[in-house]
Amino acid sequence: MNKLISLLILGVVLLASINISKAEGDKVFPYNYTVETLENGLKVYLIPMESGGLASYYTVVRTGSRDEVEKGRSGFAHFFEHMMFRGTKKYPQDVYDSISISIGADANAYTTDDYTCYHLNIAAEDLEIVMDMESERFQNLEYKEAPFKTEAGAVYGEYRKNIANPFMVIWEKLKETAFKDHTYSHTTMGYVEDIKNMPNLYDYSKGFYDKFYRPENCILVIAGDIDPKAVMPKVKEYYSAWEAGYQKPEIKPEPEQTEERTAETTFDGKTNPIMCIAYKAEAYSPTSKISMASQLLGQLAFGSNSDLYKNLYITEQKVTFLSPDFPMNRDPFLNQIWVQVKDANDLDYVKSEVLTTIEWYQNNLVDASKLNDLKKRMKYSFLMGLNTPDNVAGGLARFIAITGGIEGVEDEYKTLDSITAEDIQKAAMQMTENKRTVVKLFGTEG
Amino acid sequence: MRSILILTLVSFLIFGCKEEIVKSTNASGIFLPSETAPAIDFNIWLNVGSQNDPIGKEGVAFITAELMSDGSTLNNSYSDILDKLYPIASGYSVKVDKEMTSFRASTHPDNIEEFYPMLIDALLRPAFNEEDFNRIKQNTIQSIEKSLRFSSDEELAKAALMQEIYKGSRYSHLTMGTVQSLNNLTIQDVKDFYENNIKGNFNIGLAGSYNESLVDRLYKDLVGDIKYIKNTKQVEINPKAIDGLNVYLIEKNAISTPICFGFPIDVTRANDDYFALDLFRSWFGEHRNQSSHLYQVIREARGINYGDYAYIEAFLNGGSLSMPNPNNPRNEQIFQVWIRSVPHQVRHFSLRAAIRELQMVVDNGMTQEAFESTKQFLYKYSLHYAPTLSTRLGYQIDADFYGIKGGYIDIYREKIKNLTLEQVNAAIKKYIQYDNMMIAAVTKDAEGFRTELIENGESSIKDWYSSEKPEEIYEEDKTIANYPLDIKEDKVTIVPVSEMFEK
Repeated sequence: MNKLISLLILGVVLLASINISKAEGDKVFPYNYTVETLENGLKVYLIPMESGGLASYYTVVRTGSRDEVEKGRSGFAHFFEHMMFRGTKKYPQDVYDSISISIGADANAYTTDDYTCYHLNIAAEDLEIVMDMESERFQNLEYKEAPFKTEAGAVYGEYRKNIANPFMVIWEKLKETAFKDHTYSHTTMGYVEDIKNMPNLYDYSKGFYDKFYRPENCILVIAGDIDPKAVMPKVKEYYSAWEAGYQKPEIKPEPEQTEERTAETTFDGKTNPIMCIAYKAEAYSPTSKISMASQLLGQLAFGSNSDLYKNLYITEQKVTFLSPDFPMNRDPFLNQIWVQVKDANDLDYVKSEVLTTIEWYQNNLVDASKLNDLKKRMKYSFLMGLNTPDNVAGGLARFIAITGGIEGVEDEYKTLDSITAEDIQKAAMQMTENKRTVVKLFGTEG
Repeated sequence: MRSILILTLVSFLIFGCKEEIVKSTNASGIFLPSETAPAIDFNIWLNVGSQNDPIGKEGVAFITAELMSDGSTLNNSYSDILDKLYPIASGYSVKVDKEMTSFRASTHPDNIEEFYPMLIDALLRPAFNEEDFNRIKQNTIQSIEKSLRFSSDEELAKAALMQEIYKGSRYSHLTMGTVQSLNNLTIQDVKDFYENNIKGNFNIGLAGSYNESLVDRLYKDLVGDIKYIKNTKQVEINPKAIDGLNVYLIEKNAISTPICFGFPIDVTRANDDYFALDLFRSWFGEHRNQSSHLYQVIREARGINYGDYAYIEAFLNGGSLSMPNPNNPRNEQIFQVWIRSVPHQVRHFSLRAAIRELQMVVDNGMTQEAFESTKQFLYKYSLHYAPTLSTRLGYQIDADFYGIKGGYIDIYREKIKNLTLEQVNAAIKKYIQYDNMMIAAVTKDAEGFRTELIENGESSIKDWYSSEKPEEIYEEDKTIANYPLDIKEDKVTIVPVSEMFEK
């Protein structure tokens, strides 16, 4: 899950960089899209692009595990994502399934901390069939209690599958250590006790749908071989009856952290020790220099050609990996540096090397050529990456969920282009001891 | 001398590519030019893989290829390579399987002159130094000892199934090798493998917005007057016939039980029956898709696990990928069912449910309705197999391996479109059975599972359910719970996880 999120972030950051090669005043986003907000608040982006008869259909719901404010409800946004495949008034499950099969759609969904995303890759000729089905399940989802309980079993199965990986174990520990009040304290998968209790929450699930699955909380993106002039009227036909009524949850802000936090956890079995050194970060904004500079700092200091990576991974060979994850989030989250060491005795050394690296960036200005290399890398990654409707819509999903649209890409670009070595230094200055959480994981069998 | 590959790919749905360029050499070449593509994609492949590992040197094909893609060259240290590739967002990686090694690379046309010499260096001038060797070797050993044994029970079960089905052949060992063989491996072994199996064996795949002169350059550099290696020959695999239901249990303090089962099948993409059998495969267990029949029975109706799928050819890294990644073609394939992790309490029931479904379709065939809907599904779903030009190039390389001429995705769709129910049911009868299979599972209290299997008593699921189910499900459950699995005591093997892939 974490990896997926990182990729999505990368996609957006890269996207923002295209304008490096364009003249001032040019639009960053290379496709001429159409955007319209329906009367009920549903925002719709139609992005025509040559794609050999394929299209991608993304519905981004701006609700994720961040919105699970009630005790005992961790993991519910993800569980509910499963229920969205359980049929509607017009299309009971068997009918829904048979239509899905007949159009051979590559359909799936995922849930993150900040949003839930439903996506289909389809033949563009089936667009109206898909729009009919998608608009129906967002307006008239209908399922009985028995299949609801059965689906809870599948979610528990997903948990069991995931928890066999030590990274899920330490991820849970990191979140609950770094956050006390904010809902970022639990994972998107949720606590096992809450997952076990999910079969009992049928009525709650109805309320969840009622509160969050509303047009003004959703954004529709359709990319591919489409004609916006023909598609937009269809969108209105299928989605206009969807009633507004989103109820914003009261998410408690996280109190300011005043001292370093540490925690340890264990994985049942063998694993190389894993450590995450994380710092409280700002909420993402495309106009925030600190936000953008932090993302660049993560790559410069801990990325795959950083001095630290080369030293620890290539020369000393003390770590099996070192990787930064400086994500974009709606609320202040964590900039993370992940390492896995071969020998537990090296953990202190590796930690001190990470801290020394941060100190260096606090006290020195990064070489201009390194910063330019990173910007150049972003440009080329972007240019090579937006090659399918799925990559365009999928790469944008997180950015859209967090900022509420595509438009912010233009701001983000301007911000990125303006970042200097001094900004990188300022971002490093934010990584102070009192904002730090260090979590370690050890295998019970070594 | 290998045949000259002449391909004309008539229609490219995604990128509207032009036709192939033909070259006369020992090497195969596949070219998918597209003026509008944003990148140049390379796929330099060899029909060499872990089956070519010398006995006692298991893993050497993997380590050699990893060192080429993730190590120093004679012209640049690994650290310098990272520095040079970084600003141009370019890179190369490798995939090693039983019979194929494929180096993939991608760069923007602006950067081809910077990138190309580095790629050629990696392929022709690897440094094979001790520092890189130790890093990659140690990381690979750790991947087996820690990750595969302890962090990925589902992949562990699947690897165990392959090991047991192909026991005694060069398909049996992990591509990564074994802990013991890796520990004994030296840098000289790597150099020898490179000289004897890699250099001189390259085939050339190129796609995207490249200049035609790049083709000549690649041939000159990678094939040119390099001596063609004649001693990398087809390895005979000949899997042994499986007698009855054989069970291989890995004892581990696992949170739940992943199960898979299967047997060798004498069909690959090279065989016309493949397409009929693939339609059955899709209906019975399309990977990561609700359309899978097994998924409907085990997950959707009963909520036992996350998913249940079936395969007629190797699908690597299935836990992470929703669509197959090309370049693991094999001359030997297995039919395989993957039951994702189930609670220990219902492991026996789940296995019975899956085998019973298999028996029903083998005995009765697919229905006209299931056939028609799956045909319709696959015809369109296959559009999504190769959304990018580099993936499409990968598919064409696999087509070359199987001797298929023409654009593979188009051929596949045409074959599916023309299938009849009779062909599909005949293929099921011919290739699929349920009496002689290898079953592999990772579980806690393997002894207890062994006893359950041998005693063949009722394995009711009723107490496990947390919700009411329709009456017909309860009725069917009774049948499943008593479905006989004829497993003899001497056919069950229990192995502690610490011994897996040790030697």
